[in-house]
Order: sequence, then C-alpha cells, then structure tokens
Amino acid sequence: MTGGLEKIVVRIDADLAEIAPGYLENRRKDLEQMPQALASGDFNLLRTLGHRMKGSGAGYGFDAISEIGRAIEEAAKRDDPSGVEYGVAELAAYLERLEVVYG
Amino acid sequence: MSTPDHVLVVDDDPDIRTLVGRLLEKNGFRVSKVADGKGLRQLLEKSQPDLIVLDLMLPDEDGLVLCRNLRSRSNIPVIILSARGEDMDRIIGLEMGADDYLGKPFHPRELLARVKSVLRRARSLPGDTQEEDANTTYRFGGWVLDVPTRQLYSPKSKKIFLSGGEFSLLRVFLNHPNRVLSRDQLLDFSHGREIEPFDRTIDMQVSRLRRRLGDDPKKPSLIKTVRSSGYVLAVRVERGGDQHHDTDDSSPVD
Repeated sequence: MTGGLEKIVVRIDADLAEIAPGYLENRRKDLEQMPQALASGDFNLLRTLGHRMKGSGAGYGFDAISEIGRAIEEAAKRDDPSGVEYGVAELAAYLERLEVVYG
Repeated sequence: MSTPDHVLVVDDDPDIRTLVGRLLEKNGFRVSKVADGKGLRQLLEKSQPDLIVLDLMLPDEDGLVLCRNLRSRSNIPVIILSARGEDMDRIIGLEMGADDYLGKPFHPRELLARVKSVLRRARSLPGDTQEEDANTTYRFGGWVLDVPTRQLYSPKSKKIFLSGGEFSLLRVFLNHPNRVLSRDQLLDFSHGREIEPFDRTIDMQVSRLRRRLGDDPKKPSLIKTVRSSGYVLAVRVERGGDQHHDTDDSSPVD
C-alpha cells in the first residue's frame, strides 16, 4: 500500500543497534493500543502514550516520533479525538516508511 | 581496578530506562533501574548509588517531592530528567536540591556528559567541609543553624524555612566566616550542588538568603558584598554541639 512512498532513512548511533528495534516494536504496540483507547475515550492513556513518545523518540534518534508524540499528547489534553487520530496515522506512516541505518 | 560508579535511574517509561541504562553501562557505569518512588525507596534501603537520574512524573509520587526528601537526608547527586520542560519546573527542581536538570527529549551524549560532570563536581573538592560540619550547630549574630536537622532559628527562636540551595549557601558562609568568597568559590565550596553555575543565580541565592536572615539588601550587615570580589559573612561564628529549640512554626520570613 505504501510501496510507492519514499523511505525515510534515519541514521542512528551504532550503540543503539541492540535496543532500537525493541523501541520501534513498542511503538507498533502503541499503534494497536491507541485506537482502542480512542474507542473507549481513554484520553489519559493517550496522553501518557504521547508524552512517553515525546520524551523518548529523539533520544533513540527518531526525532519525528518525539514530534508526533507531542502532537498526540496535546490533542489528548484537549480531548480531541481527530487530533489523536491524525497523530496515530502519522506514526503509522512514519513506521511504515522508516529505514534505520546504524553507525 | 576501581569500582564502577553506580547510577540509579528512576523513570516510569521502560524505553527511557532501557536507553539510559544502555548508555551508562556502555560507558562503564553500574546501573540500577526502578519505575517509581516505591522502587527508589526500596533500592536506597539496600544500597547507596553514586548518582540518581530522576524523572519528575512518576505514577505514585511527585519527583520534586522525592528530590527534596532525598536532599534532606543524603548528599547523593540528583539529575532531573523530565519532559516537564517549563522554566518554572527547572527552577523548582534546582531549588529542591537537584544538581542538574535535563529536559526530554534529550540527546543521550548530553546526559552522559552531565552525569560525568555532576559526579566530577561532587568529588572535586579536597577535603569535605560539608561532611566535617555534619553534626555542628552554628551560632552567629543571634541566629542558629542546626546542620543535622537543617533548621535555621532566628534570634527570637523562630524556625525559618530555608530551601536546599539557601541552606547549602549559608553553610558555606558559616564554614568560612569573615573571608571574602568569590562566586566561583561559593560554587565550589557548595560542591556545585543546589546552586546553578551562573554568577547571576548565585547573586539571586545570596539575595534570597539575605531576606531569610532579615538582612537589609541595600545595607546588609551579615552578608556583605565586596565589590568585584564576591561576598563575605561579616559576623562572629561559633560552632557547637547539639542545640535544642522549642519552636513555634516554620513560616518563611518574607
């Protein structure tokens, strides 16, 4: 479906090679959890997930995840489902196109 | 072979614990990780880390309160690592006794540099004047500072609230009475702890301390400004043992 889209290549520190895949896997789990939280109106959980993404993404070298997390956190603070949905879609697209290079 | 420095990471986000833990372990530190205030307390019961990296937004307790409690009973350096990046949070964190503050998101190498810097500062002074006076009660100009309880009493025996930074600074002055101390020396003698390494912040700390001591800022009689040099505590200081006070309240002076 996204086969035609350009890859987003992110180069990160080789020291993180062992833990970065796990970090990205956790974000994929977020992608499963957030729609459920949206459906149940659990904006507290959405705020927490966004807040954590904001705080951790750039530390792992994924600045975009911090930005998306910030947007999700802000939307959740406003109880704004469409804002959260937009952030979730952004995250899905980013993870889909992401190609990580270590070194 | 020397023992590696032990760093305790307190953060409710497992991804942050993993990241910080990996970073520090790769650089020769021993790392313990806990997710909340309860975990922090449990760990401190069985070991004494060399430094604590502390998140502010924990599920069970406010990190600022934890920081203040830590500072009131130990000298373990604390670096706050928090996504609560407002200036006021930063200021309050430092006033609560944190040695440094880094906002999230952060660059791992910056955190590493800060960890090394804080540990270096904590160990940089020859001799530990702060340890030497750990059981001391100072008397100066009618005032009493009881170091073990960190309590300051006015000449009327009123308990005066001091922040961590103010306590640290007053202790430095009392350790070096009638001696002009430069801003750099004030920073060094206080182990760089609870005082930000900027001249103007030290000036502000002195100004606040003067207010606590009821010293007229325009014509101070206790902590005097020495132009182009620094500050001097211009009063006779006596050191003694235990001091007992019946206290009324802990209201700030101002």
